[in-house]
Amino acid sequence: MDFRLTDEQEMLRDSARRFLEKECSLEQRRSAPTHGEFSGKRWTAFADMGWLAASLPEDCGGLGGDVVEAALIMEEFGRALVVDPFWGVGVLAAQTILAADREQARQLLPKLCAGELLPALAHHETQSRGVIEHVSLQARPAGKDAWTLHGHKTLVMGGNVANRFIVSARTAGGNRDRDGITLFMLDREAQGLKRQNVRLIDNRWAAELALDGVRVTSEHLLGEADQAYAALEHAHVHGLLTLCSEAVGVMERALWITRDYLRTRKQFGVTLNTFQALQHRMAEMLIELEVSRSVVYRAMAFLEMPSAERLAALSVTKARVGQSGRFICGQAIQLHGGIGVTEEYSIGHYFKRMTVIENELGSAQFHLEQLALRECAGPTPAVTAPHDSGAPT
Amino acid sequence: MDFKLDPADEAFRREVRAFLREHLPPDLAKRGASGFHPVRADQRRWQRTLYDRGWGAPNWPTQYGGTGWSHLRQFIFDEECALAGAPATDNGGLRMFAPVIYTYASDELKARLLPGILKGELYWGQGFSEPNAGSDLASLSARAIRDCDHYIVNGHKIWTTGAHTCDIIGLLVKTQPDAKQRGISFLCVEPGAAGITIRPIIDIGEAHSLNEVFFDNVRVPVSNLLGEENKGWTYAKAVLENERATSAEVPLNKRKLAQLRMIARQERSDGHRIIDLPGFAPRLAQLEVDLRALEWLTLRALTEKSEGTCLPYGSLLKVRGSELVQRIGELTIEALEQYGTYVYAEPGEDPDAKPVWPPGPDYAPGVTADFMYRRAATIYGGANEVQRSIIARSFLEL
Repeated sequence: MDFRLTDEQEMLRDSARRFLEKECSLEQRRSAPTHGEFSGKRWTAFADMGWLAASLPEDCGGLGGDVVEAALIMEEFGRALVVDPFWGVGVLAAQTILAADREQARQLLPKLCAGELLPALAHHETQSRGVIEHVSLQARPAGKDAWTLHGHKTLVMGGNVANRFIVSARTAGGNRDRDGITLFMLDREAQGLKRQNVRLIDNRWAAELALDGVRVTSEHLLGEADQAYAALEHAHVHGLLTLCSEAVGVMERALWITRDYLRTRKQFGVTLNTFQALQHRMAEMLIELEVSRSVVYRAMAFLEMPSAERLAALSVTKARVGQSGRFICGQAIQLHGGIGVTEEYSIGHYFKRMTVIENELGSAQFHLEQLALRECAGPTPAVTAPHDSGAPT
Repeated sequence: MDFKLDPADEAFRREVRAFLREHLPPDLAKRGASGFHPVRADQRRWQRTLYDRGWGAPNWPTQYGGTGWSHLRQFIFDEECALAGAPATDNGGLRMFAPVIYTYASDELKARLLPGILKGELYWGQGFSEPNAGSDLASLSARAIRDCDHYIVNGHKIWTTGAHTCDIIGLLVKTQPDAKQRGISFLCVEPGAAGITIRPIIDIGEAHSLNEVFFDNVRVPVSNLLGEENKGWTYAKAVLENERATSAEVPLNKRKLAQLRMIARQERSDGHRIIDLPGFAPRLAQLEVDLRALEWLTLRALTEKSEGTCLPYGSLLKVRGSELVQRIGELTIEALEQYGTYVYAEPGEDPDAKPVWPPGPDYAPGVTADFMYRRAATIYGGANEVQRSIIARSFLEL
């Protein structure tokens, strides 16, 4: 057990931090995200720095790292509130492709690493919440090895700029069955595919997709028909873990911005940091931050465990991170006072990013409920006879 | 980064587990798992067993008879012992005082004190707090005046855990009354010495572990001075730091949460298991979430400690660990309903005592007494408010 970064990981983190501070500051991207613009130049820079390749295996054009590298990058993205669709494309879509079919991954992922292919994962639906296997979008048979797709997808992260969509569809079974889910890779301009771009409150962009009889064949299959659950779970796990790392970056930065503000802002003739109520609030914020960071580390240790254990571990992590994040970012605004609720100042944007994170891949409450169900499923121990009185037996 | 336990550490855990299965007597485990304060006779028996195995002092270096284990192995050991219900070993002697003794005391004092602690024959009481020196410990006023080769001690200590059953008290006294921190010395005092009066303090769990200790012209040999005169504050801080290192009490919290889980599956409400009531399981799950987070914060503290770090882990762990033990207690009492309200008297120091208890399942006695006692968890070892001030000042530089 060793929680220190390797030299390479430290370099990756430092170079990401330097680049993002210089190129992706809040001020620089004020206009771009408002209009949903996407900087191809910056995306190429991400590719050139190896960020898109960092967590992918070498035979797929990657650098051979694991989820830790993506988590480090995401933590930096959280600190800087970067709006580029790294998570949607570089984690969710990339990991889905990787786990769906290795041969296809070898074809597709090198292009993704180079920044040319921008697939978005169109898996989330209005009733998904955090349920991975919830897929109601229908793939209706339309001749041999052909289907037509009917239904809606929501919160397709990076969907506004994606040039491909990985759409999960129901080819068999009911809406919540693990079997019978199939992935199709669609072109952005596929016939029958309607896209509406949506700006999120943190200035990232997603898309809503409406599929009305989009015709697909086995050519469009990503992985095997009916068998996509495992790939989706794999992507979900990577998605959750990196999302929680991003949240840690968000919390950490929000905490230190607030600390600096307390040391400079004066009221009643003194700087705010002299008030014990505020000192103690900040101490609580630090505890929450470090507790959350710890539970993200814990999730890393469970990544290769059997499905039920790792999902439970991720539920522990997402629940804690969601709660800590809401507290830290909420209090960050509170300790700033009025300036904290202005669009111009940074701290409110940390709160907004945290709010989006809370609603992605299952809220804290959802994950707590998952854990509660596990608690109830446990066996009742053998009944011990109540003693009537007197000595313990 | 490597997030997995080393296979050698996993093997170590299995070794400890096997040892406990074989050598922890059921009567000790039963009393150890109850919430009542450990019985000294049990502690002696268990410490001797550990000593014979070479595991008497998990946190000491080998030169003094310790195991020389890493912080992580100590944690694994503590965790397995707690889950098995082993009696709590002498935290004061082994963890708080001994490191200060082997670091600062004279060879003569080391030879006199360490072997007894190791074998479970010498138990410690902490004579630090006074009625007017709690969180503000340095304002203590117990006085020691040098008289040839003795100190004459006068003063009043409070919250001295186990003073009535211990063999030696680590006592903080003023040797220079005008200086604050720099006038404090550290004396090792036998509680049977002439002039010492011990008065029990019964806590709100109706149990006796705390005491007041009065010193009236007590003569303490100068050879019982630990380290140098007027350097006591340094030693006291080291003692308190040793206390905080394990202050999340993750092993204890794990045992208590496992107990709560068992009780919630056992107790019923109108035919339903408590755990199946709609509001209950999410609260249990929340405790599990917070315990796991605390466990991994502890693992970070244990593995990073050897590197030297600036994060104030002791304070972080103290705050959340003490809150957690109280929250687990609250839910356990709730799950026990009537049995959470009955008085199950503490059996006391006699391990063969057969107290007359009201009806109830055999997991009930001790739960409420401990729940009451643990209201002190957020106070002892430096109140949580003091910890928050430490975090704010030392780390956040507010």
